Amino acid sequence: MKIDPELCIACEACLPYCPMAAISMKDDVAAIDEDECVDCAVCLKSGVCPVDAFIFEPAPWPRSVRSTFSDPRTEHKETKIAGRGTEEMKTNDVTGRFQRGWVGMGCEFGRPCIGTRFRDVDKVAQVLAKHGVEFEPKNPVTFLMEDPKAGKIREDVLNEKVLSGIIECLYPIEKFEEIMNALKEVSKEIDTVFSVEVINRADPDGSYPLRKMLDKMGIPYYINGKQNVGLGRPVANV
Amino acid sequence: MTHTLHRRGTRESLSEDYVMLCLPAVGVNDEGHAPKLKKFLEIAVRYDPVNIGTIKLGNMYSHSKEEVVKEAQAVVHAVFVKQEQVTDVLKDLEKADLGMSVVVSGIFEKVDECIEKAGLKHHTANFSLGIWGKTEKLPPDEILEVATMCGHAMISANLIRSMVDEIKAGRKTPDEAAKVLAPNCACGVFNPARAAKLMAAMAAK
Repeated sequence: MKIDPELCIACEACLPYCPMAAISMKDDVAAIDEDECVDCAVCLKSGVCPVDAFIFEPAPWPRSVRSTFSDPRTEHKETKIAGRGTEEMKTNDVTGRFQRGWVGMGCEFGRPCIGTRFRDVDKVAQVLAKHGVEFEPKNPVTFLMEDPKAGKIREDVLNEKVLSGIIECLYPIEKFEEIMNALKEVSKEIDTVFSVEVINRADPDGSYPLRKMLDKMGIPYYINGKQNVGLGRPVANV
Repeated sequence: MTHTLHRRGTRESLSEDYVMLCLPAVGVNDEGHAPKLKKFLEIAVRYDPVNIGTIKLGNMYSHSKEEVVKEAQAVVHAVFVKQEQVTDVLKDLEKADLGMSVVVSGIFEKVDECIEKAGLKHHTANFSLGIWGKTEKLPPDEILEVATMCGHAMISANLIRSMVDEIKAGRKTPDEAAKVLAPNCACGVFNPARAAKLMAAMAAK
């Protein structure tokens, strides 16, 4: 994203809109720090600029990943899903992706409010790979891995900054404690934040075995969350 | 795509924050899904949501409610402030038998009550284990409570601060300030009613 300095009238109205705080005043006009900009297009699409000074031209690879990972209105070519992740548990009643006895896990890098470079995503993905997780093949971050078995993200995107990128993976519930410990350790080595989520299929009585494990292990979790209520058809055998 | 999971706040504040999503599974039941998502939004609108949206178009603060309903596709959202609204929508959805997946975000025990009253069953849950890593980089919690209502992080911390300043200066009411934030969350999962209350509290400090 760029600002045309010839058009900018220095009203400063756009400055607070940038989620990465990448817009500032330079030489009496608003300017974008292109290295910090994630091409989310919030500034442009907000319509805040009274003189239409924002210019967005699709970037070549590897910078093109910034827009696809940062603007949820952009559909990923590979997954055909807008946003940064997949349908995950939202359609589990139909897809059967998360079976009983398994844990789905997501690590959402850069969120909230900070953004991430792929080098931090890479660091955590490689640790998770060593513990035998299965990366979700339809997840956009998995598409960036040159070796999904090792969790290694391709070199040319490591310095690209995005609003957020999600690692999605699956593992047997027996590995939960081991994975949590590994994640805790590697989280000390990265330069951004990440939000962690875990997915679990309900037992026939409506309870969630993973919730019992979280309570037993003393792992804190939010009082709020997401529940699929099983209205999708055809019903998956899950 | 966990855009409604990590909403932060106190129990009291989150008690007025429920997001419902309706979507097909790509490659399984997505053929002819648009009229079904439109029906979902028509049902939701009967119960006075504080926001509705569809990712490809936007939400009811960037377009009219009618336009959002008409353009429903891929995944649609509706936000409510009361448990009763969620229960009523779930009951109507069960009768409508759209065959689309439906997800409810909110305080677990309150959503549990809605599911049970509607005669439905828990299928799959997504739990948030919070924010890990370099958390010292985060803005204050009171800002995060507003910002995390747009799970795609399209509402900046600085815009929230700027709106709180506007309220403090008497240039905007909390409702007006919330309506400046809302259009940026294209999906329509942002809860402007809750945001107005949170920003009013910040401005009063």
